Amino acid sequence: MKQNSHIFLVLTLLFFLIPLLVLVAQSFSAPWRFQTGAGLDWELRSYEQLLQNPMLWKATFTSICIGFVVLLLNVLIGVFTGKALTTVPFKGKPWVEALLLSPILIPVLAIAMGLHIFMIRAGLADTALGVIIIHLVPTVPYSIKVFHNSYQQIGRAMLEQPHILGSGFFRQLFTVELPLLKPALRSVTFLTIVISLSQYAITAVIGGGRVLTLPLVFFPFLENADASVMSAFSLWFAVIPVWMYILVEAAILLLPYSRLPWRNKR
Amino acid sequence: MLLFTLLLAACSGGGSQKEAWKDMSWETIEEEADGTEVRLYMWGGDEGINRYIDEWAAPRLKEAHNITLERVPMDAAEILQKLQTEKQAGKQDGPIDVIWINGENFKNAKENELLAGSFTDKLPAFNEYYDTEDPAFQTDFGTSVEGMEAPWGKVQFVFHYDADRISEPPSSFEELQNWIHDNPGMFTYPRAEDFSGNAFLRHVLYAQAEEPSDIYENPLNEADIQPAADRTWAYLKDIQPDLWRSGNHYPNDLTELDRLYSQGEVLMTMGYNESRAESLVADGVFPESTRSFVLEPGSIGNTHFLSIPFNSSNPPGALAAINFLLSPEAQLAKFKPDYWGENTTISLDQLPEDMKQKFEAVDRGDSVLSTEKLEESFLPESEAAYVEWMKEQWFDEVVQP
Repeated sequence: MKQNSHIFLVLTLLFFLIPLLVLVAQSFSAPWRFQTGAGLDWELRSYEQLLQNPMLWKATFTSICIGFVVLLLNVLIGVFTGKALTTVPFKGKPWVEALLLSPILIPVLAIAMGLHIFMIRAGLADTALGVIIIHLVPTVPYSIKVFHNSYQQIGRAMLEQPHILGSGFFRQLFTVELPLLKPALRSVTFLTIVISLSQYAITAVIGGGRVLTLPLVFFPFLENADASVMSAFSLWFAVIPVWMYILVEAAILLLPYSRLPWRNKR
Repeated sequence: MLLFTLLLAACSGGGSQKEAWKDMSWETIEEEADGTEVRLYMWGGDEGINRYIDEWAAPRLKEAHNITLERVPMDAAEILQKLQTEKQAGKQDGPIDVIWINGENFKNAKENELLAGSFTDKLPAFNEYYDTEDPAFQTDFGTSVEGMEAPWGKVQFVFHYDADRISEPPSSFEELQNWIHDNPGMFTYPRAEDFSGNAFLRHVLYAQAEEPSDIYENPLNEADIQPAADRTWAYLKDIQPDLWRSGNHYPNDLTELDRLYSQGEVLMTMGYNESRAESLVADGVFPESTRSFVLEPGSIGNTHFLSIPFNSSNPPGALAAINFLLSPEAQLAKFKPDYWGENTTISLDQLPEDMKQKFEAVDRGDSVLSTEKLEESFLPESEAAYVEWMKEQWFDEVVQP
């Protein structure tokens, strides 16, 4: 057992922590030309360049807003669909489940290009709403799957009990189901935000450059040999989902029966 | 059915009003452009270029003409894809007013009628300060321009080397061949699919032809260029074993080659834009001793352009903005190494004396060759078909065997 934990530690260090530390170090220094034998020159130039970019803040803000709305819609759709799939008996359920998963099997770019014409005619192209809708395509199937599994784990019996005790629909949802769905909420939060935040192609097609999210500013810089600016950009990119996750975590604490850290008696 | 007819009518209508700018005088165009917003869609991967637009051009355009210039980062291929779909959907008030374009993309845009039409004769700056008859402005990779795009800048292909490690760079493709054999593993070029790698290969083709003009003056005819092509493959196969990683692997794009050069793994890199090393040296990516050179028979250069899409919702604003970006002041700021450092398309002889002196006084930096040297070695671009041909043939002839 002891041996296993050592192996785990070494592997984590080697493949996760050290690369991350190199990234952090590179972002705070001039491009490291290690083969020339030079050391690191510490400087803040890459962050200066990053923060000087006038589109950065706007794009970050847009990305966060879109991410939250996409998350909210995902939770709404996921919870109700997942519950329906568990509790309502009907014929051909496996087919419906397969159909609901299908958007992630078809390349999302193909869907976006097909939807683009429709969105132009519906007036949704080049708008944030259009981008939010297209971001639902690669996220909603996962959310439905996650919530469906969770509802199945909770079980029919647990869902019937509050009903028998006379609770209404929303009371049951907020006091019984959502608290039990907390792990699912966390997974969906992380998945949705990370997926929505990193969509480049479909955002460019549907948003048409009018809806400027972070990848639209960030991705062109991949064609750049300047490793420092790339590292700074990558870290900026990585920190956002972490912050959003913390915010959602705080919101989850507001659910009934949450064990609040500041009055944790046990 | 009625709804369908109405929809069709709505989609096909609105043509006459869009064309109104074609009959306007320049004064009217400027009046119409006053107080409007112009969206410039362009590739956004270079901080210097972005800052030139955001920090230099946009505020001055606002001040001088009360036009708000908004830069939108997007690749040219994606812009065309977007325009194509908008055309299909019959969208007449598109969000794109100005696009940055050249070569294959221009050819596609023109063939698919995605552009607004001929407009350069409207622009006072173009007519006054540019050599409008210059062949470099008349054709773009072999496609006739016909006034549908305005020349914004030009770049020339150069090689970069580290002067601390190479005392005398090669001066012809023969010497480069010898240098590669003398310094195995220290040179490579990006794959033919890459824009810059393809340009390197076309240079070799130019060098192996009887005269470079045999290639760039003629449309692609495989039978005619067979001897030159055979010599090109022979040259490339001859250097292959002494390339980086013995030629078993080629960098996928210029960025990879730049990184290798940055790390000192290879001693040369290359690329369009004779001054691109300046900012990379300033940022510490390239060594400070980076200098550039060109090889006999010469270096290929091309022009890049600004154009207006068919469904711009503000053609007068687009015209005024393009005219401003072509003006001597804007070109001078673009020429200076502070932001972009790129060569100008303006004709210096047509400038007022004091402006001409300002251009001549600009110090482009140590890594940039002199204007005389660049002009003397300039070779025009061949037809766009050669690019495709090279992509296909290179893999079969050089990589496969």
